[in-house]
Amino acid sequence: MRWKDYSLRLRALFFRRRMDEELHEELQFHIDMQARKNQRNESNTIEAKRQARLEFGSVVRTTEECREERGISSIEIAASDLRFALRMLRKSPGFAAVAILTLALGIGANTAIFSVINSVLLSNLPVRNPQQLVFLTNPDEQGFEIGFGDGDRDFVTYPEFQQLERNNQVFSGLLAASNFTSRIPVELQTSDSGNNAPAHVSLISGSYFSVLGVTPILGRAFGTEVDKLRDANPVAVISYAFWRERFGGASDVIGRRIRVLNTSYEVVGVAPPRFHGETVGANPDIWVPLTMQSESFPGHDYLSQEANPFRKAEWLQAMGRLKPGITLAQAKASIEVEFHQMMEAQTGGMSARDKRQFLNQHLAVTPGSHGASTLRGDFGKPLQILMVVVGLVLLIACANIANILLARSAARQKEISIRVALGAGGPRLFRQVLTESILLAAIGGAVGLLLGRWADVALLRMVSSTSNQVRLDLHPDSTILAFTLGVSLLTGILFGLAPALQATHVDLNSVLKGTSRSVAGTTARSGGVPSGKILVIAQVALSLSLLVVAGLFVRSFRNLSETQLGYDRDHLLEFFVDPLSYGYHPTEIPALDQSILLRIDAIPGVAGATLIDNPLMSGRDSNSPVTIEGQKPSPGDDAHARWAMVGPNFFSTTGIPILEGREITDGDSGNGQRVGVINQTMARKFFPHSNPVGQRAFVHTTSGQAPFIIVGVVQDSKQHSAKEKALPRFYVPYFNPIGNDWTAGAAIIVRTAGDPSSFLSAIRSVVKQAAPNLPTVAMETMNQRLSDSLVTDRMIADLSGAFGMLAVVLVCIGLYGVMAYATSGRTNEIGIRIALGAQRSGILWLILRESLLLVLIGAAIGVPLVFAAGKWISSLLFGLQPADPVALAFAIALMFVIGVLASYIPARRATRVDPMVALRQE
Amino acid sequence: MAPDSSRLDLLQGTLDLLILRALRSGAMHGWAVSERIQQISQDVLRVNQGSLYPALHRLEHRGWIKAEWGVSELGRRARFYSLTVSGRKQLEIEAVNWSKLTDAIARVLRMA
Repeated sequence: MRWKDYSLRLRALFFRRRMDEELHEELQFHIDMQARKNQRNESNTIEAKRQARLEFGSVVRTTEECREERGISSIEIAASDLRFALRMLRKSPGFAAVAILTLALGIGANTAIFSVINSVLLSNLPVRNPQQLVFLTNPDEQGFEIGFGDGDRDFVTYPEFQQLERNNQVFSGLLAASNFTSRIPVELQTSDSGNNAPAHVSLISGSYFSVLGVTPILGRAFGTEVDKLRDANPVAVISYAFWRERFGGASDVIGRRIRVLNTSYEVVGVAPPRFHGETVGANPDIWVPLTMQSESFPGHDYLSQEANPFRKAEWLQAMGRLKPGITLAQAKASIEVEFHQMMEAQTGGMSARDKRQFLNQHLAVTPGSHGASTLRGDFGKPLQILMVVVGLVLLIACANIANILLARSAARQKEISIRVALGAGGPRLFRQVLTESILLAAIGGAVGLLLGRWADVALLRMVSSTSNQVRLDLHPDSTILAFTLGVSLLTGILFGLAPALQATHVDLNSVLKGTSRSVAGTTARSGGVPSGKILVIAQVALSLSLLVVAGLFVRSFRNLSETQLGYDRDHLLEFFVDPLSYGYHPTEIPALDQSILLRIDAIPGVAGATLIDNPLMSGRDSNSPVTIEGQKPSPGDDAHARWAMVGPNFFSTTGIPILEGREITDGDSGNGQRVGVINQTMARKFFPHSNPVGQRAFVHTTSGQAPFIIVGVVQDSKQHSAKEKALPRFYVPYFNPIGNDWTAGAAIIVRTAGDPSSFLSAIRSVVKQAAPNLPTVAMETMNQRLSDSLVTDRMIADLSGAFGMLAVVLVCIGLYGVMAYATSGRTNEIGIRIALGAQRSGILWLILRESLLLVLIGAAIGVPLVFAAGKWISSLLFGLQPADPVALAFAIALMFVIGVLASYIPARRATRVDPMVALRQE
Repeated sequence: MAPDSSRLDLLQGTLDLLILRALRSGAMHGWAVSERIQQISQDVLRVNQGSLYPALHRLEHRGWIKAEWGVSELGRRARFYSLTVSGRKQLEIEAVNWSKLTDAIARVLRMA
């Protein structure tokens, strides 16, 4: 269509009245001219005018035809369709309410899950030109690594970042940020101190805000001047949320001071509302310069060049903005060369083997427009699964509504037939019925959008635990709205198609005469396939898959939460102390720890206290190569073991059974010969045929080789997650440590006689007595830790279970509807049967059989779907096979129960049919 | 008024052709077009008034003529139509088609 036509149609739409007036004027002019002409022959003016009008013919028809030529019909018709659809909905408010509610639930669930997917997987960082950003580090990892690992780097060190920033050719700017945001108490320095709730702090390079292209809405961002000197720039940029919550949105926030740990910072800027840093889900509250590191992590120096290149503190995410015209491949090549040169420069004095290994470090350059996130790894697949689940529920809901609409359109046969008789064409009817469906879906979608927002809040709360809060920004933006609109439209077309098609096939004569027995959805006898039954079969198939999937997840989660961890999880609690960060000197720490342990042990009801350097269920682990004295390590064998340093009586306190030898005790503390305890897997791996007790092993750490004598073997236990596979693991005494990493703090583990949660305050007070400078400790029982680690699995199990149930309810309603309709259509037949002597039970079985047949067909179609679905989710299942017969059998049994339930009322009604009434009914 | 037996029924396409040709001489309102056709054809062709205006609007919609409100010779407001560039082209095309058609019919009729 050309522009001229468009403008004509648009004008026609908006200036319809004026155009009608103009048309009228034009036609009237013609008639008047004709009248004038007639007056030459006919002197009577009135007669002349009358003749003119007669000759012109029907003005109304001409007007109508002219209007049609304008070609606005389609838009006008759409508008009138809409008005009619609204009227129809108002006439049956009950149906409208049910349909809209069903749709709102279905569409709302889809919107909610999609919002999360959008935020975690799809959307770009709210920065300038995000496509120009790349990561030089690993955006899927969070953490802090000390030591050496070859291959692609997860993080870089501060000196490496500085070098990259100075020497790079391909980036217009580089930034570095501390990847994990620690919760540090932050106090507002106002007149009323005591406002010192913890906040998330992130350390960033001076270039951070300028490279990202983010401008603070208040004040300014600090720039590269803060990188010049250490500990000299106590300035901070705060997040929008922090400003609103802690400062109450005060307009004079710039220049005010906050205290982070022991240092006072000046607030120089407030970040824009939608900006949450470079890591999705982290949401720092405060950004401070990297050069202030020793104030934020006191007692450690993570900024200087390390003495030992194999013992680097890698803790920074690095991003760069590509110079215009530079491609990702070019940047990768350039950085590869530069990084290699940097590593090469550090290999002085290394052996050939070490050098080769050391040079096997690389920086992978990957697109950075989506930011960094560990959420993708954790939640990526579960989110996809949930999306499919809610999509299926929506489909099932659509089938129900389609069935109801089919039934309604059958009831409207008379009205439609009259319309056809008056001249409505097939396409016109089709469009009108479809409009009703789309209107329904649109209203359902709007309500669903609201529901989706509430659902998101609940969802976030479901997956956050106190220790690992997921902070996502889930405001509805244009993507979400477009998605909801699209889904609503699709839904409306989907369930509106069948009734609309139905409306165009009408047997005019029989309907108008009232002899029609055409009943939508059950016309099996009159030939043709009954659409209602097909829909129900599809519903059964879909919900069977949903049920089985839900059953699998629920069972998997049960398996996980009941897994034996290897230690006594019902009587343990754990908390972390980090004296070094709170002003204690390294030499004071062993004594401090011992004092804490003694005091806790003295509490009545406590059965023991010990500690471990890498807390249980924390994800923190040490991993080093191990050799056994007298054993030659075979080349290519991965002779690594995980290890931890533990306090005395660790195994008896935690309840890990000792299989051979003894455990680590007080006598093993000090500087004497170091002992160690290994676990079963390590014993099997390194000592398949001999007794490990008494043998000497060597741990190869970056600070050298440390020996220990094996004095015991303990049972395997799960250190960090219920899903963990057994790895070789050993334990050495905390108080005769390897290396000096124990200054990084330790986790105290307490065993109680009764419920551990009742000891929290007692333990807190003795810790306070022993170490007054430590902040209030966050304590969790081991069961709490376990359930925190299973948060994703619980979420999937709960949600899929809930949706599975919802699907079952929907199918039940749908099946009931179809059966009720089918039965009412068979009243005649049933009457005849009863008259001929059929028993009541026979009638019951007749109806029931039909329903069960539908379920059977649906289940048969559904079973292959189930297997396909099972294979897809198998990576998330624990302790059971996807083709789990129990889950499948349960689901099928449930479907049959539904079949019986749904047809119960119609079947009973069928048995009560009075043959005389039925036979007289037409 | 009894229908004039000499008035021929015009096909829709032919009416379009006549209107376009009439407008080639200059802008006119609907009444003038009808009168002009009647006049030039010496009263043989009398345009059915009921089809004239739908035809005019259709041609306008197709972009072959454009319309403007102006003042008629008697001082009244009237809608004046005129040919567009594409209208001129269309007129030529239709005229050629019409001669082809009439030649063909004439040949058939002359056939012995």
